[in-house]
Amino acid sequence: MNRLTKKLTNLKKENKKALVAYLVAGDPDIETTVSLIKLLVDSGADIIEIGVPFTDPIAEGPIIQKAHDRALANDVSLKTIYDIVNKFRDFDNETPLVLMGYLNTFLSHKKLIEENQNNAIDSILVVDIPGELNLADYGITNETINTISLISPTTKKDRIQSIAKNSSGFIYYVTLRGVTGASNLDVKEINTNIDEIKKHASVPVLAGFGIKSEEDAKLLADCSDGVIIGSSIVQMIEDDSQTKEFDRIGAYITQIKQAIS
Amino acid sequence: MTTNKHNWPDKDGFFGEYGGKFVPETLMHALEELEKTYNNFKDKPEFKEQFYKDLSEFVGRPSPLYFAERLTNHYRTGSIWLKREDLNHTGAHKINNTIGQILLAKYMGKERIIAETGAGQHGVATATVAARLGLECHIYMGAEDVQRQSLNVYRMKLLGAQVHSVESGSATLKDALNEALRDWVTNVDNTYYIIGSVTGPHPYPMIVRDFNSVVGEEVVAQSKDLFNDMPNAIVACVGGGSNAMGIFYPFIDIKETRLIGVEAGGEGVETGEHAAPLNDGTPGVLHGALSYLMQNDSGQVKATKSVSAGLDYPGVGPEHSLLKDSGRAEYVAVTDKAALKAFHEVSELEGIIPALETAHAFAYLDVLMKDFDSSANIIVNVSGRGDKDINTVAEIDGIKF
Repeated sequence: MNRLTKKLTNLKKENKKALVAYLVAGDPDIETTVSLIKLLVDSGADIIEIGVPFTDPIAEGPIIQKAHDRALANDVSLKTIYDIVNKFRDFDNETPLVLMGYLNTFLSHKKLIEENQNNAIDSILVVDIPGELNLADYGITNETINTISLISPTTKKDRIQSIAKNSSGFIYYVTLRGVTGASNLDVKEINTNIDEIKKHASVPVLAGFGIKSEEDAKLLADCSDGVIIGSSIVQMIEDDSQTKEFDRIGAYITQIKQAIS
Repeated sequence: MTTNKHNWPDKDGFFGEYGGKFVPETLMHALEELEKTYNNFKDKPEFKEQFYKDLSEFVGRPSPLYFAERLTNHYRTGSIWLKREDLNHTGAHKINNTIGQILLAKYMGKERIIAETGAGQHGVATATVAARLGLECHIYMGAEDVQRQSLNVYRMKLLGAQVHSVESGSATLKDALNEALRDWVTNVDNTYYIIGSVTGPHPYPMIVRDFNSVVGEEVVAQSKDLFNDMPNAIVACVGGGSNAMGIFYPFIDIKETRLIGVEAGGEGVETGEHAAPLNDGTPGVLHGALSYLMQNDSGQVKATKSVSAGLDYPGVGPEHSLLKDSGRAEYVAVTDKAALKAFHEVSELEGIIPALETAHAFAYLDVLMKDFDSSANIIVNVSGRGDKDINTVAEIDGIKF
């Protein structure tokens, strides 16, 4: 069982909600990313989602776009990302790591993913492929890595069924019509849709996009198996990248974790 | 509108291995809805009637196929004919597609229109049809293009559109597309996205091709009338590739006609400073489709360079990638310098100031005409007029107004 499945199974057993924390690899720099991942885990994040920078990230709002640009200025590629995760794995071989990015960067590094050095990565989420498909459909096969599919408020019932069947790891429910970091959550709609997904899915359903405050997190955790926090963290990384004092991020993660417990 | 000619795309939106639907999940339903609407309406007599009526009465079609006498004499071989898309209302081929897509938007009950634009021609064409129906219109344009195509920016504003200057990335066409896609993801329920080229996710490359293929259909008929034969070659510039696809498409099965797409060679293909993915790219995924793409080893999209804002794009429509691989069309590139030379030559020889994009097609005649004897008929697709480019060219020539 890979780390992600194991973690989600254990959380379910303990009746706990999952907290997924997102950051962009190489923002503000490669070394700092390793210590930021450690900080997120130490502060209560159950799963780390690592953004793979891309020149044209069409699903990202301005906060995460800028982080992609900063990472690209540091020449971060999937190859560098394996260096980062391997460094992290020296300290922590338990926390699940998920890569989140755009198809073109994965296609350009098929071999790296197929090898998945030290089994360091547990799961991949490709933002721009239809949810019924996974990496194997694009000629990238690695049975230890599972594919996380997205379902959004605009996904119709027939597709919810086929996506739910295809997804391994967890289903990422996109809570709003919009890009990452937007703020138009409709909790009632989210509730209804997650209920529908849960009828068909054998894996947990986590909610992400637009979750900022403890209140948001609590509301969404109540109707899902966990929440994903991205833009808020990335904004704090940007704000504090000069001093590299990131205590604020640790405190924030701890608060969110408490709010959903 | 040419439909059902050759059998691409397949039901999943692929042209051979190219194309597809690579978008965030939020847009999947909107694309399915669009495809359904298009398939439902495209062959209906009332839809076709309205489309051709608008093209005739509002756009001024058919555009002439015009014998370029002085240009022909300049090359001393063959006959050069110009397909005058520059004479369309709003000054380019772009209006053909927007006339068709706004009808789809109307059928779908969408009240808000968005579009991306590079040179501003598609933005103007979109703002025009939106104004005609009284629909709210938002145009995304790279900040660099807003600068170099300021005339078109003002035209869009006069037409009641809001122009959003995009500062992210390279601040050109590709970034305008990114931003338009982000708008669409956010406002998908009430918004119709009019993509301006044969790019983007399925069904756009098919829809934009079909609407623009009115150009090629007219050329087939006009060639019979004017020289009682099919042309030996058709030359068109290729950025995303909509004017080229529109004129090529009805000729795909007419094998005696060579189809030649001219990409933006910028400083020269060998320098890497260009916008010629079919000449110097590899297959990759950008803006919802798999196609030839200018990218580095890590799959990051490279910055492009071209004097022409409308060709300054690292990707290309997927059907062109298929035509390149199959060898049915040839794709070449000419430099900024050659395009500028042609811009001046055609202006002086023919009394037609071509768009800088179109000037690329003209520039290739220097090479191409050597292949033909005096009996040959060569058609250049004059995709647009150059009024929008006079500031750019004047600046290059060191002229201040």
